[in-house]
Amino acid sequence: MTNKAFDPGQSIADMDDEQLPIPPHKLHGWGRFAGLYAAEHVAATEFVIGATFVALGAGIWDILIGLLIGNTLAILSFWLITAPIAVDTRLSLYTYLNRIAGDSMSRLYNVANVLIFGVISAAMITVSATAVRALFDIPPQVHPYPTSVLFVIVAIAVAVIVVLVAVFGFNAVTEFASICAPWLMVMFIVGGMVLLPALSEFITGYTTLTSFSDFVQIAGATVWTGLNAEGKPGIGMLEVAGFAWAANTFSHFGLIDMALLRYAKKKSYGLATSTGMMFGHYVAWISAGLMGAATAAMTKSSIMVVDPGEVAFYALGASGFVIVVVAGWTTANANLYRAGLAAQAVFPDVPRTKVTLLVGLAVVVASAFPFIYQSMLPLLTYAGLILVPVGGIVFAEHHIFPRIGFTRYWARFKGLQYSVPAIGTWAVSLVFGFGLGALNIIPFYYLFLPTWFVSIAAYIVLAKKYGAAESYPEGEQAERVFQERVAEFHAQQAATESHEPVNDASILSKVIKAIYIIIGLAVPFVLAWRVLFHSPDIYVYYVNLERFYDVSIWCTVIYFVFAYWDLKRSKALQRAAVRGASEPAV
Amino acid sequence: MKLRMISVAGAAILALASTGLQAETKLTIAMVNNGDMIRMQRLSEAFEKANPEIKLDWVVLEENVLRQRVTTDIATKGGQFDVLSIGTYEAPIWAKRGWLVTLDGLPADYDVEDILPPIRQGLSFKGKMYAVPFYGESSFTMYRTDLFKKAGLDMPEKPTWDFIKDAARKLTDKSNEVYGICLRGKPGWGENMAFLTAMANSYGARWFDMNWKPQFDGEAWKATITDYVELMNEVGPPDASAKGYKENLALFRAGKCAIWIDATAAGQFVTNADSDVANSVGFALAPDKGLGKSANWLWAWALAIPESSHNKDAAKKFVAWATSKHYLELVATKDGWPNVPPGTRRSLYENRAYLDAAPFARTTLASILAADPNHPTVEPVPYTGIQFVAIPEFQSIGTAVGNRFAAALSGTIPIDEALGNAQWVTGKVIERARFLQGHSAL
Repeated sequence: MTNKAFDPGQSIADMDDEQLPIPPHKLHGWGRFAGLYAAEHVAATEFVIGATFVALGAGIWDILIGLLIGNTLAILSFWLITAPIAVDTRLSLYTYLNRIAGDSMSRLYNVANVLIFGVISAAMITVSATAVRALFDIPPQVHPYPTSVLFVIVAIAVAVIVVLVAVFGFNAVTEFASICAPWLMVMFIVGGMVLLPALSEFITGYTTLTSFSDFVQIAGATVWTGLNAEGKPGIGMLEVAGFAWAANTFSHFGLIDMALLRYAKKKSYGLATSTGMMFGHYVAWISAGLMGAATAAMTKSSIMVVDPGEVAFYALGASGFVIVVVAGWTTANANLYRAGLAAQAVFPDVPRTKVTLLVGLAVVVASAFPFIYQSMLPLLTYAGLILVPVGGIVFAEHHIFPRIGFTRYWARFKGLQYSVPAIGTWAVSLVFGFGLGALNIIPFYYLFLPTWFVSIAAYIVLAKKYGAAESYPEGEQAERVFQERVAEFHAQQAATESHEPVNDASILSKVIKAIYIIIGLAVPFVLAWRVLFHSPDIYVYYVNLERFYDVSIWCTVIYFVFAYWDLKRSKALQRAAVRGASEPAV
Repeated sequence: MKLRMISVAGAAILALASTGLQAETKLTIAMVNNGDMIRMQRLSEAFEKANPEIKLDWVVLEENVLRQRVTTDIATKGGQFDVLSIGTYEAPIWAKRGWLVTLDGLPADYDVEDILPPIRQGLSFKGKMYAVPFYGESSFTMYRTDLFKKAGLDMPEKPTWDFIKDAARKLTDKSNEVYGICLRGKPGWGENMAFLTAMANSYGARWFDMNWKPQFDGEAWKATITDYVELMNEVGPPDASAKGYKENLALFRAGKCAIWIDATAAGQFVTNADSDVANSVGFALAPDKGLGKSANWLWAWALAIPESSHNKDAAKKFVAWATSKHYLELVATKDGWPNVPPGTRRSLYENRAYLDAAPFARTTLASILAADPNHPTVEPVPYTGIQFVAIPEFQSIGTAVGNRFAAALSGTIPIDEALGNAQWVTGKVIERARFLQGHSAL
């Protein structure tokens, strides 16, 4: 996320890694992306978004099919828009944008990122705080503003910890977050599983579901009823699909995920995002909605009122407290860290710790306002709308300019300090997008689509006016030379660096892995399976459920202890291998 | 002339087309698979003949399965069924929830006033009927007169549990596969728990005290379940926990039960030509324990129309036909008076032909009239219903407790554990229900 001006003439070895394309020897296979996306898209936000669909009054088939359509469109967007640019350039969006549009545009873009990531971070801190609220019996926060001093104190306390960790111990949290993903996936699934019999019993008097059609009937009558929280007809399939597609626009149309997909060996790895979309944004959203509605029904409240802490605690017992705190905290940390980096790029002379602390201060205040997390889905949608024009600019420069005879990197070659076409396009697109929203002509979650096309068209027109159609042979030659030097540098790197991952075949590592996979993941799943499919009556259901609660918290503890141990061992082994490779042969 | 011919031809074509295109209404009927209902399905040809625009589509299910299917459908407004078999438990609860169509405005010759008052009351909510009875029943004691005679025993008109236990032990002849007593053991709130709740009432037990505290930890329930399990293990049929109404009916008809305490509706089936013991069956009231309450229940299988039905008028026409006096006469004509669905209409019990042909009729009527759902127990209770507690949660806890008692009967768990489980789960469900209803009485 550096904002340092790009100089193709400088020494490659002196350049920041972020300014260089990813070398071929550091590319990853399909499985890496499948895992990465599965982990990235099962987070605390899923609790909020899942419940939002219920509150907005989606029907059961709207959810089952609408989410499928929306998420499929999101996968296609990753595959056809993000991955090709990422693989062609091997650069992050920040770097590529800087090359295309220069410092001023990058700085503006980073300001937007500070705002967006700061808001997401604040929302996730509030989500974590709801779990603590539930634990200390602090009243639920149903208004946009806080109504309990104790809740404010809890939110601020959680936020302060998050900020301090983001400033001083981010790497440790990142490591910890990396082991959370499999456990979060299992917990999201089992949370829905264990509440389904209760929901069925609550409606029909029977804890058993005899078929998928029973599930559809019960879920359709109790969770996705087609009526919103005010009892009026809710959103339909078109809206659900739109929300699902728009929820990640800043990642695909907005191209932020170039940062991840630049490591992909092939463009087709964009399809690996399907693990995140179809698991995190399908199964987890459905499961979260189910948990939220069941909790609301059985605690005699409204889905509008129950917060993630209460839902998770009700569905998963003590493990629910852990899931909300962990999922909220890790998501908040990652986003605050990103916001800090973006802020540093805006103020390159201020140290990262200081600038992150300043952003954190604003986040601490914002986290006391439940409004932010309650509006997560629209906020994400509008965040996407803000960033999509940037994706349009890059798309035009990367794909369209070479086809219509324009010069890629023309602004840099021309030596423009301020890329008026890029900044102007962004401004015009935002006015168009938000203006269209204000006119209420199309649903707001589809605003990103015309806005993207407008940004492409506007950028082509403005860029032409400012010299994109001209030829810059010197600049192009310098760029070619630079690319050749980079390729040489990478070849040297590949020859000297040990980049083969060390395969840990020790018995201890296998035992550790077996313990956290079997006890930490398989046991809670099997227990939840028993709750769902082997509870013929309410007595057996309660017995199975209590067993699930009692055992799963210990499974959680065991999972984290052993998974973290495994992570530490694996890192130590890799470090040892690197040291061994760098020592001269005797 | 030509124009007129064209007009006439056109009109004829239109008329033909309208006849051909006249929408046929298909009524989907969810029905329990007992003998009376199966007979109705067979005789419904007459209804279709009289109402050619209505086609009947039957979904015949075992009782427990039917309850789950029907409840799921109606609670979720699934709209799969136009006519439902429901009972006196569901009718008022579902009516209160607005799930059923009011059955007022039935034809004058339907004669609603002829329906026995306890049955009519059981199918009503706030004075309006929401289901019409196909047959009504209480429970009574059926016994083998030949075996009693052989053993030198006389069945009292109002037997006590002590007499029943003693007689069952004396009449048991396991070498010839004759078991002293057959009682419901198959789990389900409408199976073993119907019998056990009625039996417990006669032992002075109750599900809840006036504060809705479960009472399974009391002596009366312990005595009930202990006597039941011991008696069944000692002189009951093998694999008793798998035997419900239908299985015990088959055993009794095959001559393998000396005493069977169950639904009065069984009277016709144990005395008809298909029964091996048709000529040696006697009837007495359900037993008591000398505490003022007999172990008899009150139930009616009835037909109701869900609000979610799209064919309410046709459905109303059908339920009126199937529960009318004319239908009783149709059954009498086709299958004889003893096979007429019992327990719904006063006029049936004033019909000499029926009384002469049905030896169980008088005891059936006496049992039905003796049942008082408003005062089901020896000690006061905050609920109505004899073999069930008329609250929505009963379906769930009744099934759960039934499963625990069936486990005690099969020896899987001790009696004390079953009672402890029953107390625990009932307490949990009621606590939740009271919370959901604002901590008020249910």
